[in-house]
Amino acid sequence: MAIKGGNSFGAFKNKGAAFGTFGAQDIPDIDKIKPITTEFSKGSVPNSIVRMDRESAWSRWRRGYEISTAVGIQHALTYPFEYQIPSPDGTPPAEGRQPLILGVVQGFFTAGKEFGVHWVGCRIGSILRFDNVRDSIGTPATIASITEDDEFWYVQLAGSWSTTNPLPPPLYVPNPSGDPIKPLLGEILEDRILAVGGSPITKDTLDPSTSKRYGYVQAILIDVDGPNGILKLQKSSSFEASPDNLYLTPATKTFSVGRFFTVGTRYACTCQDFSRRSYSFMMNLEGSEKKRFPFTRPALLKYGRSEVLTDPNTGSVNNSAMTDANQNRDLALTTQSIDNPGVYNDFGGRYLRNFSAARRAEGPTTFVDYTAKNNQITSYTDYWSPLLDEMRYCKHIYALRFEEGILPPEPSDLPFATEESITEWEQRLVYEMSVTNKHINDMQAVRGMALMDVPPKNFQSPVMLPMMQKLLNVPASFIRLENFRMQDKTGAFYNPSAGEYPAN
Amino acid sequence: MSTQQINMADFGEVVETRYVLSAEQLAASKFGFSEVYYSGSPTLYSPGDVVNLPYETGETSTMQALGNAWAAYASGIGPA
Repeated sequence: MAIKGGNSFGAFKNKGAAFGTFGAQDIPDIDKIKPITTEFSKGSVPNSIVRMDRESAWSRWRRGYEISTAVGIQHALTYPFEYQIPSPDGTPPAEGRQPLILGVVQGFFTAGKEFGVHWVGCRIGSILRFDNVRDSIGTPATIASITEDDEFWYVQLAGSWSTTNPLPPPLYVPNPSGDPIKPLLGEILEDRILAVGGSPITKDTLDPSTSKRYGYVQAILIDVDGPNGILKLQKSSSFEASPDNLYLTPATKTFSVGRFFTVGTRYACTCQDFSRRSYSFMMNLEGSEKKRFPFTRPALLKYGRSEVLTDPNTGSVNNSAMTDANQNRDLALTTQSIDNPGVYNDFGGRYLRNFSAARRAEGPTTFVDYTAKNNQITSYTDYWSPLLDEMRYCKHIYALRFEEGILPPEPSDLPFATEESITEWEQRLVYEMSVTNKHINDMQAVRGMALMDVPPKNFQSPVMLPMMQKLLNVPASFIRLENFRMQDKTGAFYNPSAGEYPAN
Repeated sequence: MSTQQINMADFGEVVETRYVLSAEQLAASKFGFSEVYYSGSPTLYSPGDVVNLPYETGETSTMQALGNAWAAYASGIGPA
């Protein structure tokens, strides 16, 4: 999205209004004709290799390392939280025994974009346990048997499953007005629970009977056959913690029969790269107070979705970034439409680079990265197929993983042919990060925090609510501010919605 | 060639690079013996849906709660 400046050519001159090279906003300088680099040229001109490298997961991995080490994670913007899943039947669980989702939201100051902060959400793993999935007579859903083809594993869960007794929600949610909803598609499943009620094993857990490590396998859930109790998991992005304590990808074996699945860590980010859309920003964080009028050039309008937040009481639009801790909002979704000019600019789709076992390219995307029902997002999919062992992460998520001490596996798509050498690229990256670091710390921190509130008060701002829905994987209407408990520096939880504060 | 700077070692000289504390400094530092003070509640790291384990009869797990939320949503019911 371009931002109109002081004259009719202002938008073209204002490089700060574009999201690096991601926006594909480059306007060729007619004095220096070069290979076309506008958005219509992807994949068809000599310079397109640069575009492809830009999409490299390796580049994100490397930039995440740079953020983690050079800039550092700003722990002043670390917000651990506990989310109490609301009960639809109105009978609140006993205090202290509420079903919980635990996670952390980490802010990354960003230079001149958005409201000064990108927010990454991390939902810790093992939140959902399949020993709590039971059939109609109470049989826990262990891994009963596994069949496979070249691309997928088909896991039969134990239990008596039928059309009248399908897998229970959230695996398979019957829908009175259409196809069943399958909210867990895209989740990472791991066979890490050995017995009902047991703690998940880690890659280091030893089997006392053999004194060898158990090991486990993780893979992405692709589909759910509810009436037959079958899960379909993808091989090409699978991951194995081997008994000799190595990480292997793709996995060399399949899941262990008799164990229970649990889900892996889940991340989401508000940045343009992860959300695949640009947002308007009404002011320049560099310090200018000049009012700006956002517009989207007609050539950049694409098919996509746009989100609008409304006040549930009045129905009026409320897209504020600064919110009250008690002001819940509704997410209204305009689907199968063009971008909302001036507010959202979907980057559109492109070819996926993942190859199936049958060596077929996946082809162009469908321009639909979500499913929706009754004007609400029911599930997000991703423009990207998982690359080897990884879901698509942005550089902020990679930085968070480096900071956690979990060295994320190095993506294999190292950009090998660019206009510049990788050494030059890295040297420039280090230099830019050092400059950015100073810039951010000097000015953006203060300004960014003046523009956007902090968790949980901003959880229902336009950039945050879709991210939180993707992170928590609950219906957007169930993300209520009063259900968040934030953890302070002493480890105690407090309820901002009730006016509570962290310890001094 | 000898350097003209004061306190600089010449090539080939054996120098002590470790900073040696005096007996008084060692006695004052009590490194490793000083008391550790802490306050506040200990932070509990909860690996997922085990915080409430074992579940009592009638209690709702995170998996079930998430399922209830999606099932209610599919039927047009919101949070209570």
